[in-house]
Amino acid sequence: MEPEEEEPEEMEPELMEEEFDANGNVIPRKDKVDIGKPTNFALPPKAVAKEDRTTTPYMTKYERARVLGARALQISMNAPVLVDLEGETDSLNIAMKELNNKMIPLVVRRYLPDNTYEDWEVSEMILP
Amino acid sequence: MFFLRNLSHTINLHPSYFGPHMKEFLLRNLHGDVEGTCSGRVGFIICVLTVTNISPGKVLPGSGLAEFVVQYQAIVFKPYKGEVVDAIVTSVNQIGFFADVGPLQVFVAQKLMPNDFKFDSNGPCYRGDDQMIEKNGQVRLKIVGLKYQATQINAVGTIKEDYLGQIQ
Repeated sequence: MEPEEEEPEEMEPELMEEEFDANGNVIPRKDKVDIGKPTNFALPPKAVAKEDRTTTPYMTKYERARVLGARALQISMNAPVLVDLEGETDSLNIAMKELNNKMIPLVVRRYLPDNTYEDWEVSEMILP
Repeated sequence: MFFLRNLSHTINLHPSYFGPHMKEFLLRNLHGDVEGTCSGRVGFIICVLTVTNISPGKVLPGSGLAEFVVQYQAIVFKPYKGEVVDAIVTSVNQIGFFADVGPLQVFVAQKLMPNDFKFDSNGPCYRGDDQMIEKNGQVRLKIVGLKYQATQINAVGTIKEDYLGQIQ
């Protein structure tokens, strides 16, 4: 019986400079961030997929003000109200009530410095 | 000539139309705004066939309106120089006659009629050896000149060629 040949020890991936796939192409390392080319603001902004969003789920006070203002203006212009009024007549108060019930049918579009944007529905955001 | 074209139209919708029936309002607005209009670039938009896409609304800051971009397919009529068309005479005078090709008005001057055509103020009409052009009559004419303006197209026609003139 021949002595069983020891399998050559695999190199640890952490020590390798670059990894290659079967076709010899470089597999991008996950611990290195590709900063890519400079942002071209002449192009139309691109959307970030819903599952790839990175910004905070908390609504900022500026977004809150913008959303309340836009919705109150719509309500004052006879837009259908989505909550029970309970005798409320002031459009801003109605808008606040809608926001507290997460019923505002608006989307916050956050533009980022790399010419992309993330869409956050008001109903999925955490209120400040 | 008639074409099937993909066009887009921007609609600013008032907040009072928001709600579950928003799409119907948008479609009604589209048909009302677009059908029957004329632009020098596209021609006459005859009718909207299908609506391919309605973009998500965008809140316009300050005004409260929502902006929708509607992409649609429409039949358009765009006249070309040298095109031979059938028309209906709408008015006849000493200088020439006007004829309608659907929405397009074409003017045919007396110089662009065969030499035997003479103006006859009884009618009024133009009389040739074997044809007569009078109001509401049908003529076949060739477009020789077109002027595209932002919201209008003017055309000049001729019947001084073989097979043009009154349609019996």
